[in-house]
Amino acid sequence: MKIVFIILLLLHSLLAAEYEESNDYVLGEGMQVGSMPLYVGGYLSADYTNIEDTGLNQLRADDIAFLAYGSADKFSYMAELEFKEFYVKQWINGTSTTQKNTKLHIERLYLDYNFNENFVLRGGKFNSPIGYWNMIPINVLRDTSSNPLVNSMIYPKYTTGLDLSYSSYGDAEIKVDMLVQNNKDFDDDYNNLKVDKHYALGVEYTDNDLSLKYNGGYFHTVDPLVSDKNLYYSLIALKYDTDKYKIMGELGTQFDKSHSVVPYSGYIEGLYRITPKHLPTIRFESYESKSFGQTQKDSFLVLGYTYRPVYPVAFKAEYQMHQEDAQNKTILSFSVLF
Amino acid sequence: MKSLLYILLIPLLSYAQEFVVVMQKNSALGNLSQAKVKMIFLKKQKMSQDILLVPINLPPSSSIRKSFEKQVLGMSRNRLKSFWTKEHYLGHRPPLTMKSSRSTLSFVEKIDGAIGYIPAKEVNANLKILYKWKSK
Repeated sequence: MKIVFIILLLLHSLLAAEYEESNDYVLGEGMQVGSMPLYVGGYLSADYTNIEDTGLNQLRADDIAFLAYGSADKFSYMAELEFKEFYVKQWINGTSTTQKNTKLHIERLYLDYNFNENFVLRGGKFNSPIGYWNMIPINVLRDTSSNPLVNSMIYPKYTTGLDLSYSSYGDAEIKVDMLVQNNKDFDDDYNNLKVDKHYALGVEYTDNDLSLKYNGGYFHTVDPLVSDKNLYYSLIALKYDTDKYKIMGELGTQFDKSHSVVPYSGYIEGLYRITPKHLPTIRFESYESKSFGQTQKDSFLVLGYTYRPVYPVAFKAEYQMHQEDAQNKTILSFSVLF
Repeated sequence: MKSLLYILLIPLLSYAQEFVVVMQKNSALGNLSQAKVKMIFLKKQKMSQDILLVPINLPPSSSIRKSFEKQVLGMSRNRLKSFWTKEHYLGHRPPLTMKSSRSTLSFVEKIDGAIGYIPAKEVNANLKILYKWKSK
């Protein structure tokens, strides 16, 4: 029944997209509630994965999320609640398992205060402003169904604390972020790392189509698997985005006081806009990890293709070819932002 | 005869209309670079000193808007569409849209921080010109 409901929602989204020019509501831009400073929207994503080497097949209704945001005078806010892995069915060697997760997680919940044209203070739970991929991590807005591994191996994806940003606007834009977390996460089930401390600094330079970014930081884990670890990270990122193509890359490292935990993890990706609807992507990823006393390394190629009938609706297909890990896989996904 | 007709038509064909980005006359902003106009209309720069900036767009079908997007923002309509879709996820709204340059002018005159683009010939004494461009 839930699957039927999701399919009906998707069809509704597509039909709404067809008529977007004739209505005030524009698919992918949310809608205002009355005349209040409140806009609502959301997104959802479903995917199918086949891992060749293990014979695993998986069908997921993954992200089902609701957004609410607005601004009044110098204040603005954002709330995002999400069902993560709402429905997961797996088949392997003739047996199947089904999981349903109906807990609604707090993905983001924050308040911004604009002091003036240069300084903004953010408090709450937010995407850690690290690299480029982590800023827009949801399926419908990213370039491939899968995330590059650097996005989950090096730093906490979410921070619950304060972020003071300084922006300077000349012919180029320079942005500096200083973030502090000295408490547990609002919802630490919903983060790649369970942390109770996170201090970081980021510097970003943007000149027209070119952006460069550096992030460095420290965090303390409270994860039962890697408890009481003090870890440091450093990441550089580059993005060159034009009307026709985009090149993006990130390279990070993670270490403690005595040795390197993740000596390197990174990717370089190219996306070509044949038309706004047809977007092939190629990404090369490589990493080496020494977590838990074991050395793991792999390099792999991701070949992807995205069809967007309208921008906020994405049908994606990708194939991953791994050099070391038995992880060659095909991923198909559908996602929509409303 | 044909040659004469072409000679007469050339000045008409090469006529480029001039447009301007304007704010209230007493606003703190002075002459802006193209990059700065872009930052304001993409809402990267949200304030000028202590005043919230309110960029104003014309309707999508407006030829002035098309010229503004192409020549000042340097972005295609599709790229802008994807930009504002991403901004929706980040909790930011696209600029307000006014029906005409006349309503833009009237809005800019009345609202502190409002900034819009109109044909240069419509500028009056209550407005300050921050940036000029000619249609191609």
